[in-house]
Amino acid sequence: MLVKKRGKQELRSIWDWRITAVAAFLLVIIGLLGISFGPINLAFDQIFKTILGLPNGLTEQERSVLIDLRLPRVLLAALVGGALATSGAVYQTVFRNPLADPYLLGAASGAGLGATIAITNAHGNLYGLLPVFAFCGAILAVLVGFFISGKFFAEPNSLLLSGIAVGSFATAIQTYLQQRHSASLRPVYSWILGELTAASWRVVAWSSIYIFIALAILFAISKQLDGLALTDEEAYSLGVNPNQIRVIAVIAATLATATAVAASGLIGFVGIVVPHLVRGVSHRVTNRALPTIALVGAGFLVLADLGARTLLSPAELPIGVITAFVGAPFFLVVLRRKRLVNQ
Amino acid sequence: MIEIQDLTVRIGATEILKDLNLTINANNWTCFVGPNGAGKTTLLKSILGSQPYAGSLKDEGVEVFNNHDRNVAFVPQHPQIPVGMSVTEYVMLGRAKRDGWGTESKESRALVVDTLKLTGLYGMQNQFITRLSGGEMQRALIARALVQQPELILLDEPTSALDLHHQISVLNKIEILKERDVTIISTMHDITLAAMYADQIVVMKQGRILRSGPSDIVVHSEQLKEAFENRINVFTLDSGRSVILPNK
Repeated sequence: MLVKKRGKQELRSIWDWRITAVAAFLLVIIGLLGISFGPINLAFDQIFKTILGLPNGLTEQERSVLIDLRLPRVLLAALVGGALATSGAVYQTVFRNPLADPYLLGAASGAGLGATIAITNAHGNLYGLLPVFAFCGAILAVLVGFFISGKFFAEPNSLLLSGIAVGSFATAIQTYLQQRHSASLRPVYSWILGELTAASWRVVAWSSIYIFIALAILFAISKQLDGLALTDEEAYSLGVNPNQIRVIAVIAATLATATAVAASGLIGFVGIVVPHLVRGVSHRVTNRALPTIALVGAGFLVLADLGARTLLSPAELPIGVITAFVGAPFFLVVLRRKRLVNQ
Repeated sequence: MIEIQDLTVRIGATEILKDLNLTINANNWTCFVGPNGAGKTTLLKSILGSQPYAGSLKDEGVEVFNNHDRNVAFVPQHPQIPVGMSVTEYVMLGRAKRDGWGTESKESRALVVDTLKLTGLYGMQNQFITRLSGGEMQRALIARALVQQPELILLDEPTSALDLHHQISVLNKIEILKERDVTIISTMHDITLAAMYADQIVVMKQGRILRSGPSDIVVHSEQLKEAFENRINVFTLDSGRSVILPNK
């Protein structure tokens, strides 16, 4: 039915901003659910009363749950989800590869190595610096890949290949370190599965700075990113400088990814599922969808985190388990529908 | 008018174009012919401005390399066909520069509808571009170039993927541009078609220009035969039209 309707339509707009509005609305709803539910449930009306400073709000203890635990955690989930989904979409465009994800260029393995170094350090006082180590590891791995490939401009996929090589190398060192310090296995493993438990206002503050800068850059060039779907000469004739846009896009997306990884570990599937979901549902591949992809990514991760906190309450599931468990089947449904429309 | 002086292009250690000198008139159709590897496509990319070169290549007196102020449409021989993009989105890309990469203007939408009708693509505007046939894809490329409303259009083998009927239909659409004061530069393998449509023909071989001039003179020149190692014959029909056939 959908197919029939599409065939007869007048000229569609390139992007329908009503989709963005729906995504923003859903994010607000999901955000409210996220701060309300958990091992201790907070009532909506009491949350509002507390925020507005009216009487009959939350108790002192509930207030502290809301402000010190729930709010930073929901905000961090939204930030990380938005960052990963947007970077995934951007990498998919730059490398013209629908399977590209934010961790492809070695960011994940680099961050993993950085985190492992922080955890396995004999002096044991580096755990607090784990985000810094993970962040630097991610950026370094991508940079090394960038310089090894050397011909990013001529052939973007060469960066992909050298990124994979650098990633394997970093993973090898990480595995070696883990073998030497078997006590570190568990913390490293749980970090790799992704965790938002460490969310605090401090983490939210520094990660939001980097993520907002990266996303602002990506949104600003989002329309020009569409030109990268063509040959470089075509892009050039349409007013895009393809080499420049590719470099800016990769740097900004890597900054967003490294920040997300440093703040919350490796959370898989968001960067692949969300862009394809938005593009599949809207039937559009334009990068004008990036702000919408960020909103949906944020909502997706807040929802996944809500599941992680409540499904086995009071125990917590690793959030990476939820994103993959929900994401994979969902993804297959979208892919299947897309193929039906394509035929 | 495009003025080329001592143009040399190197890619790696290879000299693709060697010391070219050429003047291309505005509002004309100029066609580059010559065997594979003659440097036709590289010359097109140089005129586009995306290809670094040594020497001078001026369009209306301005050096073209990395000059984004010009409005030049480029129709490649082997386009990258974006997966999941509709015909409308694809053609609308031609408006990106004018609309400032913002939301498309009303004007653009009207123009895209008109152009889709002109190129016979109206009715399939919401189809995926990947599902178009060779001829439809070529028309989509031409449509994107048309909505760009360029001053100059560069076409790399615009007819190579098409059957005879579609070759003529595409070339006729390109010819319309001359009425709109657009300068047309193309490469073409089929010299008979080049002689039919182009005002000026440039014969190239191994990075050099052997001959350039009005089509009806150049097709009868020795240099054209030389470019193809005397393996072609040129016939003139009673109508005055030239036909170029390979020697067996």
